[in-house]
Amino acid sequence: MPLLSLQHIIKQYGTYRASDDVSFEIPKGKIFGLLGPNGAGKTTLIRMITRILYPDAGNILFNGEQLTDKHTENIGYMPEERGLYKKMKVGEHLIYLGRLKGLSQTQAKENVNYWLKRFEIENWLNKNIEELSKGMSQKVQFIATVLHNPELLILDEPFSGLDPINSKLIEEEIRAMSKQGKTIIFSTHRMEQVEEICDEIVLVNKGKKILEGGVKELKQRFKENKFRISFTGEISNGLLNNLNVVEQTSGEVTVKFDEEHKGNSLLKLFVEHGMEVSSFNELLPSINEIFIRQVQSN
Amino acid sequence: MGKIWIIIQREYITRVKRKSFIITTLLAPLGFFALITGSVLISTYSQGRTDVAIVDESGLFKDVPIADADDQTVYFHKVENKYEQLAAELPKEKNEKEKKYSAIIFIPANFNINTPNNPVIACRYVERPGMIKKQFINQRMNEAIDKLRMKTLNINDEVQEQMQKKTQIDFSSLDNQSEKKGYTEAAGIAGMVMGFAIYISLFFYGTMIMKGVQEEKTSRIVEVLTSSVKPFQLLMGKIMGVGAVGLTQFILWIVLMFGVNIVAGIIFGVALNSHQPAMGNMQSTGMDAEDMQLVMKNLSSLPFTQIIIFFPLYFIGGFLLYGSLFAAVGAAMGEDGDQQSLMVPITVPIIISIFIAINVINNPDSALGFWGSIIPLTSPVVMSALLPFRPEWWQIALSLFLLMGGFIFTTYIAAKIYRMGILMYGKKITLKEMARWIFARN
Repeated sequence: MPLLSLQHIIKQYGTYRASDDVSFEIPKGKIFGLLGPNGAGKTTLIRMITRILYPDAGNILFNGEQLTDKHTENIGYMPEERGLYKKMKVGEHLIYLGRLKGLSQTQAKENVNYWLKRFEIENWLNKNIEELSKGMSQKVQFIATVLHNPELLILDEPFSGLDPINSKLIEEEIRAMSKQGKTIIFSTHRMEQVEEICDEIVLVNKGKKILEGGVKELKQRFKENKFRISFTGEISNGLLNNLNVVEQTSGEVTVKFDEEHKGNSLLKLFVEHGMEVSSFNELLPSINEIFIRQVQSN
Repeated sequence: MGKIWIIIQREYITRVKRKSFIITTLLAPLGFFALITGSVLISTYSQGRTDVAIVDESGLFKDVPIADADDQTVYFHKVENKYEQLAAELPKEKNEKEKKYSAIIFIPANFNINTPNNPVIACRYVERPGMIKKQFINQRMNEAIDKLRMKTLNINDEVQEQMQKKTQIDFSSLDNQSEKKGYTEAAGIAGMVMGFAIYISLFFYGTMIMKGVQEEKTSRIVEVLTSSVKPFQLLMGKIMGVGAVGLTQFILWIVLMFGVNIVAGIIFGVALNSHQPAMGNMQSTGMDAEDMQLVMKNLSSLPFTQIIIFFPLYFIGGFLLYGSLFAAVGAAMGEDGDQQSLMVPITVPIIISIFIAINVINNPDSALGFWGSIIPLTSPVVMSALLPFRPEWWQIALSLFLLMGGFIFTTYIAAKIYRMGILMYGKKITLKEMARWIFARN
């Protein structure tokens, strides 16, 4: 059973449809990428999952149950535009947010101590929020998101504004939480991170879902049968005559091959022509390329 | 309710712990203290002394005493000099120190008490007397003319004194128990104080709520919060938390002001008593020190039980009613806190209600007072001003019932605006748009 299931979600603002009959499922324990250009309707979808907004039509199921307010205690949400109360201390602020997520005072305190220790920032406990730098407050925001040990984690552009060290740290935490079986929705523009981190993605544009699937599966689905062959020596005469060459440099050629043919037959062709092949790769499209192609064709 | 309680706690504790809270709580009574002592000191020392020379060419006023002012501000001197001679002696610059008189009253030789405005008595000044002094001089001259008239009618001093004795009608309720002489004045003062207290706190704490909502919006924490609690819970928690701050501050102020009053009484008691006329326009309303004492005595016969029960209810009710509206405006305002115009629909009824309250003090049983005390937007201020006048029980019950209904209604509207407004960035929101949100679905 998927952890989250969106069924024919419609959300309308005046005449504008921010979500237009969107359906997809998010499997348990996976890192799920919610992608789309600006204004595609990602935040609206997230806000409906977090019960900040309600859909005009359609159903959202959490663990097979109709999503209700009680489920919000099982969700941790870090919005893209995030902030903290400036006049509070780090410790009391985290405890406050933890309690709003249903933790008891003692439990919240315990969890805060655990996370501050884990990030080696125990001495921040009594620091005022307004004294924190941007990177520091982002760490605090991340702790606030995971403090109540939610089953589902929603991270909207979690790396925006983070320095490389903090980025790495958060990425490691995301992977660790995934290993613990947590489900993570990851919304971002940065496609290289999607490829690195996500198991599955859904792509939305203009309120509509235009693509979904596993990262590896999508790359296969959108591959163009391009192969890059590196070799030593000169290319033998007539070898490239019947081939669709995309790019050619000295010692390397990129070929677009017929769909029915497998890579093996291309390699065989090179070998038969007496070429000394040093590497042979199938070029799969990056998620970024798929993204751009899909959005443009949409 | 659990989450609302957590929010109330945060709103309360973070505010009460702030330096600004501690400072305003302590400074307001000191400000009150400064106001009392300041007004006493100002009235004592600032008015200065005006010496008025009276040149009486008619000779009519020779034997008529013209008394100086009790508060030592105006002194009359009958002089033998001619007007021109005296005028020539006076310095032309008003700031010159060495002057004997600052004004001359000239009574022409052909002055006739039967036609006192033709020819007229003139007063020429070097140093401009203020309005109060002018009034006083005018009054004294008229008294002198009255005395002259009586003299020509052969009415002797004893009779004159008897004639000038005025009655003070003993206004009391029929049973002469519940409302004794001076009660209306006492009730008026108490009513005004309570009406103003609510009026000011609506603005003060309403703005506090509005700022708090704006802070959450601009710091962008609101999205995290609304993913944990419903906007309505957030709204209620904030209003109640700030309300609790208001009540705390109010109670502390009352306690501190009592203390300050006692201290001020001890230090300035003498000065206060000897300067009753300085306390505003008491004289012009015909209230003297004796009346004041009567009023003070009557304060204790105000319907305290009623006031103690209902005043806090109106305080809380008004606060809840307007608090939610202030929150809605805070949510709709831009991040830079402009668009003050959105506040107009809230501030206008509050200001109207204080005007009604002022009117109610003078006409407690008027139709305006009745409707003002019933309609929820004005009832917190108006009914508080009316409470010392013992309004009917059913009137209070109806008013409270409607206030509660009004509170539920405004909160419902405000919650809708709040919900939409807090997550709306970078867009100027108009009143029209807010109206649209009220009717929109979630």
